[in-house]
Amino acid sequence: MSGLFLLGIEWSKLRRSKIVWILVAAAIILWVPSVLNAHLNFQMQAEGISPENNFFIQGFMGLAWFLFPASIVVSTVLLTQIERGNGGILKMLTLPVDPRKLCLGKFTVLLSLSAFQMIISTGVYFISGAIASQTQNYDLLLGPAPVLRMAGVIWLTAIPMAAFFWMLSVCVKAPVFSMGIGLASIVPSVLMINTKAWFLYPMCYPFYAVTVEYGKLAENTSCGKIALVPWIPVAVLFTGACLIIACLCFGKAERS
Amino acid sequence: MALEFTKIKRTGLLPAFLCGGLLASMIPVLNMAVRSEAYVNLSQPPLDILLDGNWQTMAMLNLLLAVIGACLVYHTEFADNAMEKMRTLPIGEGRMFLGKTLVLACMCIVVLIIETAALATCGAIWFESGDIVWPDLMRNAGCMLLLLLPAVILSLLVASLCENMWISFGIGVLGVFIATMMPSENFALSLFPFALHFHVLGEKTAELGVGAAVEILALVAAGAVIQKIRRRF
Repeated sequence: MSGLFLLGIEWSKLRRSKIVWILVAAAIILWVPSVLNAHLNFQMQAEGISPENNFFIQGFMGLAWFLFPASIVVSTVLLTQIERGNGGILKMLTLPVDPRKLCLGKFTVLLSLSAFQMIISTGVYFISGAIASQTQNYDLLLGPAPVLRMAGVIWLTAIPMAAFFWMLSVCVKAPVFSMGIGLASIVPSVLMINTKAWFLYPMCYPFYAVTVEYGKLAENTSCGKIALVPWIPVAVLFTGACLIIACLCFGKAERS
Repeated sequence: MALEFTKIKRTGLLPAFLCGGLLASMIPVLNMAVRSEAYVNLSQPPLDILLDGNWQTMAMLNLLLAVIGACLVYHTEFADNAMEKMRTLPIGEGRMFLGKTLVLACMCIVVLIIETAALATCGAIWFESGDIVWPDLMRNAGCMLLLLLPAVILSLLVASLCENMWISFGIGVLGVFIATMMPSENFALSLFPFALHFHVLGEKTAELGVGAAVEILALVAAGAVIQKIRRRF
């Protein structure tokens, strides 16, 4: 079976999961406070950031810090539980499909769910920016280029984290621990972005990327830079290790 | 009620809450160990300094733990259709809801005891003058339990209505996220069940406590009634 066909099957399983509504609700919840507090964007002279940049970066910061990683954890719960109900995974494992391919296929679905969330959140940004511009009589919208670039960067930097969460949900049988470890690992990212060893902690990559962008936009704040050299190899190694472990563990409990 | 406690035996709920409590108590300890000079010389009472510096993170961990716990105690019912069997028994579903509330409340007490012990340890090690006094610590833990319970009961209510764990889990996570975005000065907004637990003791504690107590009663009543009538739809 081709990989694309497998992917289509995995997608059709999600049709009635209502996960789309959760992700849409997340995007709306993210931007509503920004619209309501739009006047606060004009009080940022101390940081030296323009109102439109502040509106944009604060929202994406909230997304990259907690909402986006937590949504990935929710999606991993979805992807594993949907198979465990009524023994669906047993039937999948009887098919002449390599279980490693299945595992990677599900990971691809996880990535596409997170991409979908990024797209929705970006779309809601343009809507809420337009509304806030109306209420404040000031153009708070940025052009599509920097916004799409930021969304892409957040999604790309979240891939190692997604691999880690996927490994957790595949290898840790008790859902309480896979959910708990996942969520608990998000919280310290606030502390990790302030250390020099941030690149060793994949859960803070998206947040770090947004913080660096904030440092560029706000003139009076100093912020770290992204040094690609230790970071990219570490991220690639981490992602690879997580995916290999996940593939080895996939369906192990059911086969033994 | 004892039935509900036996059910959690193999879900790993108790170790998860113990680990969560330990993790949350690491935060003030680590914070003091790494940057104690930033805190020791402040003029406030030691407990206030510790709570101001660390409570937001600890509260967030507690809330996430409560959400996961609530999703899980109902997930054990919905997985493999155990719920159908429960419904054939002569036990009202409202009773089951109350039992699960009690289980989670006990878990939260365990977590808060661990965290209180950690705060007391921090006080004993790093603050020589004006140690943290036990009555203050106890009052703090009690208030925090009162402010945590509305979030616990609300997430249980959501979990009891959603058969699929990812939906109740997603809603709980969104609730916690909304609470982190809320401005704390606005009193009406801080009565949102997930936002209550973020408040440290201050002049508004009495009002918040009353609000939390009202919410607890209302949510428990709503939960018990909804369990009873939802089969009619």
